[in-house]
Amino acid sequence: MVNISLIVNEKLFEVSVSENLRLIDLLRDELGLIGTKEGCGEGECGACTVIMDGETVNSCLVMAFQANGSNILTIEGMEKEGKIHPIQQAYIDVGAVQCGFCIPGMVLSTKALLDKKPHPSKDEIREGISGNLCRCTGYNKMIYAAEKAIEYMEEGK
Amino acid sequence: MDLNVVGKNIIRVDAYSKVTGKALYPQDIYLEDMVYGKVLRSTKPHGKIKVDITEAEKVKGILKIFTYKDVPKENKYGVVLKDHEVFVSEKVVRIGEPIAFIVGETQEICEEAYEKIIVDYEELNAVFDPIEAMKEDSPIVHGDSNIILHYKLRHGDIEEGKKKCKYIVENIYRSPMVEHAFLQPEAGLSYLEEDGTVVVAVATQYPHYDREEIAINLGLPEEKIKVINTNIGGAFGAREDISVQIHLALAAIVLRRPIKIIFSREESFLAHSKRHPMVMKYKTGADENGFLQYMEAEIIGDSGAHASWAINVLRKAGVHATGPYVIPNVNVDSYAVYTNNPFTGAMRGFGATQVSIAYEQQIDELAVKLGMDPIEIRMKNIFRKGSMTATGQILTDSVPLDKCIEAVDKEFQFSRKLEVESI
Repeated sequence: MVNISLIVNEKLFEVSVSENLRLIDLLRDELGLIGTKEGCGEGECGACTVIMDGETVNSCLVMAFQANGSNILTIEGMEKEGKIHPIQQAYIDVGAVQCGFCIPGMVLSTKALLDKKPHPSKDEIREGISGNLCRCTGYNKMIYAAEKAIEYMEEGK
Repeated sequence: MDLNVVGKNIIRVDAYSKVTGKALYPQDIYLEDMVYGKVLRSTKPHGKIKVDITEAEKVKGILKIFTYKDVPKENKYGVVLKDHEVFVSEKVVRIGEPIAFIVGETQEICEEAYEKIIVDYEELNAVFDPIEAMKEDSPIVHGDSNIILHYKLRHGDIEEGKKKCKYIVENIYRSPMVEHAFLQPEAGLSYLEEDGTVVVAVATQYPHYDREEIAINLGLPEEKIKVINTNIGGAFGAREDISVQIHLALAAIVLRRPIKIIFSREESFLAHSKRHPMVMKYKTGADENGFLQYMEAEIIGDSGAHASWAINVLRKAGVHATGPYVIPNVNVDSYAVYTNNPFTGAMRGFGATQVSIAYEQQIDELAVKLGMDPIEIRMKNIFRKGSMTATGQILTDSVPLDKCIEAVDKEFQFSRKLEVESI
């Protein structure tokens, strides 16, 4: 077992984890943050995407002990004071959500992109979500959602 | 007409729960005192098995390892033909058949026991090509023939039709097996309510069929079984067959503990159906003016080791074999055939998708032979209001295919003669 401390959604956690525990298991099984999804367990699908120190990672490929000292944002941390983030609102409004299993990861990849580049081109949006597979939509709606989110954030919605 | 929904932008009811990560899929539900399950699956495509679970049962933390001997009533299930076994009793017919269900206190304990189950195979000759599987001397997958369905469509007189043709094109098309790869791997939970009702929480396309199957296998009245559909992480047809439901219900009843299972992506690939690969032999003919006069098609669908929806899928392939074209003289023979491949079932389009590869390329080749624009030959032959299909249906309502083709042609600026000298 290893003792680690990390910040998840602005909250400090000090936990003892086994060496073979993955970050996704820590988040889901230990911290109860079930919004992070496991689609493949090998870094292909991006459903388990979280933002770790400003960068998107596949939480199925990060060991829990590797997250020691890091600052992590999961989908649960996108909501502030009962209000969802403009990116989430945009995903709802343009109809980018179907089965929903890719959505938490997709939303976080969109956030990481817009944090770094507030006005990305269509191609940059495509690249920004290229690590997240969706089997329902064909991706266009996610691109519209990112564009809509930029509008919302400028309007201060 | 004032419509409440059509033409309006409606926000889907579950969008909020999904963008916030609050939507529950089966893997997201945790119950107190719950145990875990793991399925042992066949690793050979065809063979008789002997299973030894004695060492595996001794692993500390294992509650029980279920095999066919533990199924209280019928060991068989299936959406149309009952040709799946809850657990293999004697003969495996594909890689991925469930042989045993391991239940333990943790997933790690189940993994440990999994390694200790011994399966001895007496391998049998297997067949992987549906055309080979139709021959008399082929290995037989189930019963006494591999042919599940022969659908015949006869319309007009093909000999007369042939005489009217200036050109006839003849080709064989093959479409591949396709995996749905929905994003949420199969998972489920089962537990007992106070009055003994068994609850199965699962992402399924058919909660009502699932309940029927569980009732038949476990010998319970349907009202003692509840199937709760959670959020479904994609399906596309692959959640029409049973996956975790019967195993979970059986374990919950016998062990009286809540039980959960989550498939890995690899197991998800092994466990559920695929799209039917098809071999499509087509002959299509047109007269000198570009009007279709004749078509013959033989369509062979590989159903793999189980029938699933093969009867419906290959019938649909046969019904749709002409595509949206009026052809007065048509013979279609479509077959669904067992092989020792992964089983195939429902997938978007349900048999209508594959044949479009064949009939549209046939039209394109005829256009080349006639020196005709590929749009023009289609406009001459498409279904319109009042057309008769090869199955004898008169299309009396809206048939706006001409408008669709015109719109596509305009957007893509596709209309041109195919510049192919020979194909």
